[in-house]
Amino acid sequence: MTSVNTSSPRSRRSVKLLGLLGLALISSACASGTPLDTLEPDGAAARTIQDLVGPVFLIAGVVFVLVEVGVVLIAWKFRARDTDDDDTLPAQVHGNNRLEIGWTILPAVILAFVAVFTLVTIFELEERDDDAIAIGVEGQQWWWRFTYDIDGDGETDITTASEMVIPAGTQVDLSLTSNDVIHSFWIPRLNGKRDVVPGRSNTLSLESDEPGYFFGQCTEFCGLSHAEMRMRVIALPQDEYDAWVEEQMTDGPTPQTAAQARGQEAFSGLCASCHSIRGLENQPGTGENPIPLVSGVAPDLTHFASRRVYAGGLFELYDGEGNVNRGQLEAWLRNPAAEKAMAPDDERGMPNLGLTENQIDDLVEYLLSTADGPVWTGPRND
Amino acid sequence: MAITEERPLALPSGDPARPSEPHLGVFRRPTTTTGWRSWLTTVDHKKIGIMYGASALFFLVVGGVEALLIRLQLAAPNGTLLSADTYNQVFTMHGTTMIFLVVMPIGAAFANYLIPLQIGARDVAFPRINAFSFWCLLGGGILLNSSWFLGGAPDGGWFNYAPNSGVVFSPSHGIDFWNMGLIITGISSLSGAVNLITTVINMRAPGMTLMKVPVFTWMALVTQFLLLFAIPVLTVAQVLLAMDRLYDANFFNVSAGADPLLWQHLFWIFGHPEVYLMIMPAFGIVSETVPVFSRKPIFGYPFMVFSGIAIGFMGFGVWAHHMFASGIGPLSVAAFSLSTMFIAVPTGVKILNWIATMWGGRLTFNTPMLFSVGLITMFTIGGLSGVTHAVAPADTQQTDTYYIVAHFHYVLFGGAFFGFMSGFYFWWPKAFGYKLGEGLGKFNFWTMLLGFNLTFGPMHILGLQGMSRRVYTYDENYGFDFWNLVATIGAFIIALSVLSFIINIFVSKKRAASLPPVGPDPWDARGLEWMIQSPAPEHNFDQTPTVAHLDEFWHRKYAEGDDGRVRRVATGDEVAQPGDGTGVHLPSPSYWPMVAAFSLPLIGWGLIFNLYLAIFGGVLLVVALWGWAIEPPDDIDGVHHDHHDADPSGDVEATGDIEATGDASADAGKADVTAEAATDAAAVPEEAPVG
Repeated sequence: MTSVNTSSPRSRRSVKLLGLLGLALISSACASGTPLDTLEPDGAAARTIQDLVGPVFLIAGVVFVLVEVGVVLIAWKFRARDTDDDDTLPAQVHGNNRLEIGWTILPAVILAFVAVFTLVTIFELEERDDDAIAIGVEGQQWWWRFTYDIDGDGETDITTASEMVIPAGTQVDLSLTSNDVIHSFWIPRLNGKRDVVPGRSNTLSLESDEPGYFFGQCTEFCGLSHAEMRMRVIALPQDEYDAWVEEQMTDGPTPQTAAQARGQEAFSGLCASCHSIRGLENQPGTGENPIPLVSGVAPDLTHFASRRVYAGGLFELYDGEGNVNRGQLEAWLRNPAAEKAMAPDDERGMPNLGLTENQIDDLVEYLLSTADGPVWTGPRND
Repeated sequence: MAITEERPLALPSGDPARPSEPHLGVFRRPTTTTGWRSWLTTVDHKKIGIMYGASALFFLVVGGVEALLIRLQLAAPNGTLLSADTYNQVFTMHGTTMIFLVVMPIGAAFANYLIPLQIGARDVAFPRINAFSFWCLLGGGILLNSSWFLGGAPDGGWFNYAPNSGVVFSPSHGIDFWNMGLIITGISSLSGAVNLITTVINMRAPGMTLMKVPVFTWMALVTQFLLLFAIPVLTVAQVLLAMDRLYDANFFNVSAGADPLLWQHLFWIFGHPEVYLMIMPAFGIVSETVPVFSRKPIFGYPFMVFSGIAIGFMGFGVWAHHMFASGIGPLSVAAFSLSTMFIAVPTGVKILNWIATMWGGRLTFNTPMLFSVGLITMFTIGGLSGVTHAVAPADTQQTDTYYIVAHFHYVLFGGAFFGFMSGFYFWWPKAFGYKLGEGLGKFNFWTMLLGFNLTFGPMHILGLQGMSRRVYTYDENYGFDFWNLVATIGAFIIALSVLSFIINIFVSKKRAASLPPVGPDPWDARGLEWMIQSPAPEHNFDQTPTVAHLDEFWHRKYAEGDDGRVRRVATGDEVAQPGDGTGVHLPSPSYWPMVAAFSLPLIGWGLIFNLYLAIFGGVLLVVALWGWAIEPPDDIDGVHHDHHDADPSGDVEATGDIEATGDASADAGKADVTAEAATDAAAVPEEAPVG
């Protein structure tokens, strides 16, 4: 027993150390600079989950400390000593039914307690507000397509890519499906993830408390470029959202300069086999050589320049000051597969069209004329 | 327990009146028992167990290198070591290799080596099928890994979700290799499961009722039942996928009306029991080592057994917790959330029983014990994080992130692999006749513990910070840099640790030459396997022991004195059998299991590349089975030793009517009835046909 006593301060110290280490770990998990953090909810659904996760982590943490510290203490307390007589044995205890039943029932009771709150939360997350607005989400290799039916006539009025714009403070009811393989839609600060499954329609709600700029990532392995299938959600104040809707409902730009006109021509002749810009004569499937994409669709670029990101959310069109990252866009047009892992030979991803430098310049001019600037200029939520 | 009292399964002995016929030379059974050839034809469960272990260690190195490549790629943001395509192949093969070619085979290695020894049997029930199982595993593993050289490895993840696993989305042949390779290793698992179940049910030593079976054998038995029921589901799913990919079927073709969730259900109905069948043998190992190094019996033996069985049953009712984000509806989510939480109960019972076994004991921390305590502490972390994602809403934030990667590595590495390491150190002297060095052993343990926690501990944080799984790159301003670097450093410490284990094997072997023999019972252990010499003699037991207690061997060494204290009454050396058994008639080696097993990958390659090769493989398989069926039961020219005298300890000798270790697939009429049958004059009129 003496040795136990002498060891106590030391073990207490190590307990304290463990606790500090745990705290450090947890706080580092919540550090800023992590736009995808799951523990920092900025919306109703994510907060509902957080409210459940917190106590569960706490219970798990208590059990963790009890077991780990218990094992270490027992290992120390009952360690063999040189003075032990090797030929006699400690008390040979074979078991204790009462204890066994106790430690069968106790965890079951704790888990039953957790289960009640879990079940309530599962169903709570499925509830939808009456005034929720509907947005369609389509996953495809390797970008996201978002569709808005503003007037509720069953026809899509707005189509965007990689970047979903929502009004802050209003629940959004997503209807998710896929045009090829299974993907998973995830904006960690707003809600948990939901798979998008071809041939099925899943639902998920999003609601942001405040205006903000949220990062997302496809989280179901979807092939070659899974890592580079990213997305953003931008929550705007209601009036700005309404203005955005109005802008997005309009046709694409009318060329103002010669370069833009040449760019539009190049777009109609080359890009429009797959991409659409509303108001252009040539639309995907109508040109001379429509490419039979596996997913059947490429991003709508009508108001391309209003988006912060392109290429499946991989590249930022604008830097922090709102200047265009022109070089990256040119590189992307020059040889897309060198910038992002894709399989254009299998009709998955953007092919290298062999554009000339002049064509690239013109196309950039034209694409940048599709909007006055990004819809969001604030910082990201992290 | 009627099943144990009656022991009806005695194979009839060979008909001595029947004259020995000449056999075609090719169908003669091989006779080599030493040298490398003997390993190719052996049907000895111990050699087969060792081969399982050796091939698993080889694939551990392969899968480990893949792991290091993954960690190097992710050490810093925007890594460029691997392309996206290569990375996807590497992580797919890392998972597939570690699961199917490392963890499962190590479990099989222990089960093969130990079950007959722990139950006092001569061999497994079907020795040739046992060899077949091993060669299938190796063949499947070679086929799978040949994909690296034949157009690219599978790239759909170890779970290969449809429709991403279809030919449109994965045009290389990689996933075909995945299908064929794992169908073949599935055959290995299934035939092994049938074999070992039969062995445990029918071949236990007299007196060993089911509730006296050592916990390892119990857990291994549960594992075999899990294999028996889970593996066929995977095989079915893979056959469907292979039909889709090779013959344009539409099982998973969405545009033809398929529902991709079919694959998920099939895969996880296999996949979750799979998790338990990987961890269960390690649970068994720890249940053997902790009592020995605590010098106490296992605490709550019946609870250990029944919690294992409970986990086995419940393991089939939790699969959809892998699908909480798939959109299966809130009711299904709720049901599987509940079932998943409550499977934690029997698991918790096990952990508490191990701790209670240590309580009040006299603990010595040799390397096996260190690794066992490592399992208890590390698996607890994996179990607790498991509960956090049984909470389905939490799981929608956690699933497919590094939090899950952390969780299952704590279960499979901190759980299963630490247990296996414990088992390696514990039974090494029994298998090879020398102990692994303690110095390097402790280095092995502490570096593994450190490296493991540095690698996988930070992944909890990364996951909660939102880092997705299966990404070949991540952005520099996501905040993932630091912990990824730590994890990569940890991975190399693990590699150092595994290296020290391999070095230990050779160093200790060399050093053992100058040390006294290790003796039958180096740890003062408890089970029957320690009652025979080390390394275990080819025939296992000189006489079949009669069992009166759980931990029979221990009970022969210790007894309660008048003062109520338990004292040693005999040393292990005194109680152990001398290993000089004679008249022991063992099943003869055979070529055919290997030939039959290696015909399967030929069929696999053939289906992928050229049907003629498949036809050749099929013909070879038929020939092999034919040869297998008609080869003579015995080595015609073999020598049989004299009968052994009855053992004064009262152990049953030569009980042919109790347990003929027949190679039952050989014609029962002339089965190669082994030692027991051959030496029990009462039951069997002398030896098999041509003694």
